[in-house]
Amino acid sequence: MISTLLEYYNQEPFRFLTAFGAILFLTLNLAAILTMSERKVAGYIQGRFGPNRVWPRGLLQPAADVVKLFTKENLSPSGSDLWIFLAAPIAMFIPAATIWLVVPFAPGLVIADLNIAILFFISITSIGALGVIMAGYGSRSNFSLLGALRGAGQLISYEVPLILSLLGIAILTGSLSLVDVVDAQAGGFWNWYIWFQLPMFVAFYVAGIAEVKRIPFDLPEGESEIVGGFMVEYSGMTWALIQASEFALMGLMSAIGATLFFGGWQPPLAFLDLGTFNWIWFGLKTSLLMFTFLWIRWTLPRLRMDQLMDLGWKVLVPLTILWLFVTAGAVLAFPSFFG
Amino acid sequence: MPQIGQGVIKGMGITLRHLFSQKITRQYPEYKRTLPERSRGLLTVDMDRCIACLQCMRVCPDHCISIEMQKRDIDGSGKPKPYAVGFVIDDSRCMYCSLCVEVCPVNCIYHTEEFEAQAYNRLELARQFGERPVDPTVDPKPTVKKKKKATAKKAPRTVERPVTEKDDAA
Amino acid sequence: MLESERVVESAALGGRATGRLTNPYVRDEFGLETMDLNVGPQHPAMHGLLRLIVELDGETIVRCDPVMGYLHRCQEKIAENRMYPAVIPLTDRLDYFANMHMEHGYCLAVEDLMGLEIPPRADAIRVLMCELMRLASHLPSIGFLMLELGAFTPILYAFRERERIQTIFEAVTGARMMFHYIRIGGVKADLPEDIPQKIWDYVESLEANLDRDFVDLIQGNEIFITRTRGVGKVTQEEAVEMGLTGPPLRSTGVDFDVRLDYPYSWYPNVTFDVITDTQGDAEAAYRVRVGEIRQSIRIVKQVLENLPEGAVMGDVPRRIRPAEGEGFGRVESPRGEFAVHVVSDGSDIPYRVHYRDPSFVNMQFLQEIVPGHYLPDVMPIMGIVDPVSGGWDK
Repeated sequence: MISTLLEYYNQEPFRFLTAFGAILFLTLNLAAILTMSERKVAGYIQGRFGPNRVWPRGLLQPAADVVKLFTKENLSPSGSDLWIFLAAPIAMFIPAATIWLVVPFAPGLVIADLNIAILFFISITSIGALGVIMAGYGSRSNFSLLGALRGAGQLISYEVPLILSLLGIAILTGSLSLVDVVDAQAGGFWNWYIWFQLPMFVAFYVAGIAEVKRIPFDLPEGESEIVGGFMVEYSGMTWALIQASEFALMGLMSAIGATLFFGGWQPPLAFLDLGTFNWIWFGLKTSLLMFTFLWIRWTLPRLRMDQLMDLGWKVLVPLTILWLFVTAGAVLAFPSFFG
Repeated sequence: MPQIGQGVIKGMGITLRHLFSQKITRQYPEYKRTLPERSRGLLTVDMDRCIACLQCMRVCPDHCISIEMQKRDIDGSGKPKPYAVGFVIDDSRCMYCSLCVEVCPVNCIYHTEEFEAQAYNRLELARQFGERPVDPTVDPKPTVKKKKKATAKKAPRTVERPVTEKDDAA
Repeated sequence: MLESERVVESAALGGRATGRLTNPYVRDEFGLETMDLNVGPQHPAMHGLLRLIVELDGETIVRCDPVMGYLHRCQEKIAENRMYPAVIPLTDRLDYFANMHMEHGYCLAVEDLMGLEIPPRADAIRVLMCELMRLASHLPSIGFLMLELGAFTPILYAFRERERIQTIFEAVTGARMMFHYIRIGGVKADLPEDIPQKIWDYVESLEANLDRDFVDLIQGNEIFITRTRGVGKVTQEEAVEMGLTGPPLRSTGVDFDVRLDYPYSWYPNVTFDVITDTQGDAEAAYRVRVGEIRQSIRIVKQVLENLPEGAVMGDVPRRIRPAEGEGFGRVESPRGEFAVHVVSDGSDIPYRVHYRDPSFVNMQFLQEIVPGHYLPDVMPIMGIVDPVSGGWDK
């Protein structure tokens, strides 16, 4: 009885709806939890508690935030291009939500096991840049235009090191599928790709921060100069969607980094394997990477635009290309060890 | 060209250490610290001691004290003495400069340690101390330029004028 | 070539792009024009209410016009309607990060007008309070510089230190910010019994915290160095021509400090160094401020060790009604030289009080130096000057 029911529900419309629901649930909750953890981590670094009034010790603060944002008015400047203005947050949210489809949470627990998952990740991430430009251009404001142009330059520039840093992994694994990448790192923490691909991880991480537009790369948002940059004219739920997409993308970069470089759901030692509950290991690694995102945000100042571009093009791209050749050479020279 | 290295890592170690050290926040309504004895909070008047000399009203720079004075026989000696029948202090104007406290000859106006003066209506912030309410919106001391003759004081040191080319030419 | 490009090029060649663009909407043969941006009075990073009309060619600033006056409170006019002692609370509210210096400057001017002698203990307490105020002002300056560069934590560490200093001030004067403590002829009241020990303990803890929370976190940070090195570079001649004083001037190498060149109050009895730097940019101004914090700690310790006994208020008549004349007083506030000029006509209300505020004069720096830099560089340049809107607007 149960098996026939499951077979029935395994068909097309239900599969799609379940995946859709699961993705939205995951992304929006992740964004909400991240807003609260960002404020708490910020408070703790600065020698104070974060929000701690909303039952218990501030953990329901995202609920209060969501209620507030729902009841706020969604303003838009007069003369703004309303279609582009309102479509931009959606265009920013879609890549952050869609790529979760290919992330493996546990053995067998992946919504879409694409055999070109890495390519999927790269191509969908590029749509996020479009969303930023739409937001900045659609609000009729000088500040937004500046933010949009900075965003365009930054996001497109940092996709190059992002892509190049993944190619080493593709060479080592022999496939573009994320499930294969995680399976290739089985055995123990010495098999993880981080040891051999450390420069690639650094490039991926820095490019990841730049793609999410967080400090030290938050010039498109630039709170001290252009007060909100491309999202200065958004308020209420439209702004909340932009923030949610930023946090979801941050979680996504952490998840992809954990999958590619730290073994995904693989436990550090073989006997700690938990079967389907390996998503706990996956969650731990992702949380650690997300914490470092927050930690860096509250410590470092931001880079200026030309320095940011210098870092991307003059440091990260040569680094990744060099390490790509090293990886390729190592695989050719010691095929048994790296094959 | 920026290179992330020693300085950034050391800075991040400092913030990580702060993450685990003691926090300095005090939860305000549950914890109120003891204020030092000189702290200047809201003003209050001891009407039993007030002799209605009007010095505080005259010295207040913001015109926040209004006093209505009457001559009344308070101590039964037969001679009418000045008596403050209306005394209002407008908290919305007071800047806590304590000039009135210093100038009072009988030390009857003084600062308390309270500082939480909140109201929904600004007129509620005017506290009446006397028998009859005084209207706080009427300015008790419209600005009058007082020109008095200088008292006999020794000649002050004047500022030396710098020597300019004009003086030399002249 | 676009008019703006010509202006910018002259800045790159060493000239200063101060010229107003005669035809701001002129387009060159490609149809390009510059963009006017209102870095407006409501802005999280403008040190108050400053409106900068900035003309941008891409990200390069071609022209920068500061518009002041959004916090003007007519202080000099109000002072013409108040008696001499009642002007002191007004001076508190001038540069609200350096209240003690403002009071001190005004009282020096009136004491010069009346020819009063100040008892030594009052002088020493004034210097003690002023140096504590300098600490409480320089730390948030560094914090604001970092806030505008994008790092949010140093400012909270700075305000933690400032809160502790304000608690000391509250125990001495009664208020945390608007002190009304330095009076004509001395100070209002003596220090309480336990305050010298508390100040000593605090200053010792600040020395440790300074290295850990400010210098280590900021000075070696590569991002901070790349953002501030070479930004807002100004030569000694230009700085003197613009009339800069304070840390912006000392960061170019000019050795001018009012405490040593025109000594006043208790300063002849303390020894300290004047911190100068030769680089002349935002990083140099930051280093000058950190050095001044250390020197202030040194001065505080010296004053606490040698605090003289005696009265705290001199022989001041009950009614302050000076004869006709003028008085002038100048102090070294954390932002530069603060001077007060008082003119008396013989009554108990001054005829004219004029404040020479360092934030106001140092604002020329913005209009002269900013063109040619990028838009994000405006923040470190304002961090050199560190104006306070109560100061430039009065």
